[in-house]
Amino acid sequence: MDPMEVFKVEATGQEEFGARKYREIIMDILQDLGLIRSIGRLYVYIDIEKPVFAVRGLLRTGIPPLTVKDVGDVLKVEGGYQIKINDEEHMADLLNVLWDHYGRERVEQPVRDVVIIASDTPPSELVVADLEAEFMQDLTDALVRIAPEGFRNRRNEMAKDSFFFIAAEETLKPELILEVKEKIRSMENA
Amino acid sequence: MLEPVMFTGGVYKHDLVIELVEDLGGYVLQRNVTQSEVILLLLVPTEDQAALQALTGELRGELVRAPLAGTEVAVVTPTLAIHHLPHTACDIAEYLRRHGAKSNMIGLARGVGRDIAQITEYEAGLINEHDAVVFIFGNFAECIRKKESLYRNISVPVVVTGGPEMPASDLPYAFEYVPAVGRISHRARKATEIGTLDRIIAAVARALDRTRAEIAKDPLTTSPPRVMDAVREQVPEVEYSYSPLPIALNLNGVRVKLPFEEYKDAVEAVTFDEGVRLKEIAAIKPSRMKDYILVRILPASETGFVF
Repeated sequence: MDPMEVFKVEATGQEEFGARKYREIIMDILQDLGLIRSIGRLYVYIDIEKPVFAVRGLLRTGIPPLTVKDVGDVLKVEGGYQIKINDEEHMADLLNVLWDHYGRERVEQPVRDVVIIASDTPPSELVVADLEAEFMQDLTDALVRIAPEGFRNRRNEMAKDSFFFIAAEETLKPELILEVKEKIRSMENA
Repeated sequence: MLEPVMFTGGVYKHDLVIELVEDLGGYVLQRNVTQSEVILLLLVPTEDQAALQALTGELRGELVRAPLAGTEVAVVTPTLAIHHLPHTACDIAEYLRRHGAKSNMIGLARGVGRDIAQITEYEAGLINEHDAVVFIFGNFAECIRKKESLYRNISVPVVVTGGPEMPASDLPYAFEYVPAVGRISHRARKATEIGTLDRIIAAVARALDRTRAEIAKDPLTTSPPRVMDAVREQVPEVEYSYSPLPIALNLNGVRVKLPFEEYKDAVEAVTFDEGVRLKEIAAIKPSRMKDYILVRILPASETGFVF
């Protein structure tokens, strides 16, 4: 069963096999990059005669930014605050944010997973990483991987809750983009 | 008639196998030692295979037929980008290797796309040095038909793989077309996928058989394994080549992995027991692969004798 609410792949001509296979490829790549849960609906339109490849997706938005208290436990200690890191994945980002906010001389890391800050203001609500921006980057990477190779003229329109990606061998003309958008709209309304 | 076989067993006493094969008049094509295990690619006279089988049993080894041994097969993808590698191309190359072939992976510089795909003269020349070639294409029938231009001028048999079922008449320049491969982004592990790899091997084996039949009509002056043996004996520097297979065998010659300018004369001067020198029975030219030496044995119709 697809984890997405809607997942349609349409290919023109006698290319049912290609459409079926691209469905598998898209699932494999999105799963590899851990993006599949963040996409609600996906419409893929392939016209191999032109040739053009387009994807429109609706996102399940609302990933809150990652704060200091999400990556570790913040404790009040004598002379400041101690952060016991639970998630090392964002360690580099965390240190950068703390250095920027408090200054290097007030941030100390006695052991690998403990950071002590000499300050009276708690660091709990500082933003460590903007996961939504990271997600958008990963999504662009996934789309470039998914598009057939050689389709090197690409256009990617990213909005807060949706995206539209189109790739072709030849120059992308405004008429072509409009035509493909129309095709995808009719897939959405079908 | 020499039979290509693969011996797998322990390193301990495997030199007995090599000695036996040499005594029987066979050839050791390749010897791969991996820690305590050894894999030998051998050519053994068919009538003496029982002796080797008995020794293999004694050493607790395994002896299987390697139908592609002594051949070099190119696996060509439109580029070396993530779209084609690693899964499909590596699976096919590895499977060819397991059946005894020496497989080389080639990524074209500008092979992508439907209308813009191109092959250079150098790439075509390099592919033509192999005994057969497998072209790996994608999932769209229209693209596979259009990409015929990539292999139209290749002179060795071309096995084309792709996704959809297509009639052979759609691909007149291909030796055979194997469907159900295409662009896949996971490794071949299901029974059906392994079955497809077997079909590719069978197609390559048929292509090589056709070449063998063509060679048999005008036999080579001597056999490539014999040239390999003589070069190995008389140009000992070849053993110091960093290449895992210092002398690669083809159906119509060998590739000696030494710099052409430095060692051309030494290879030309290789002499056989019959008193014939290699340069009298073979064309020795620079290979398209690095600066190696390519030896192409002339047929009997050109030299007037066979030994």
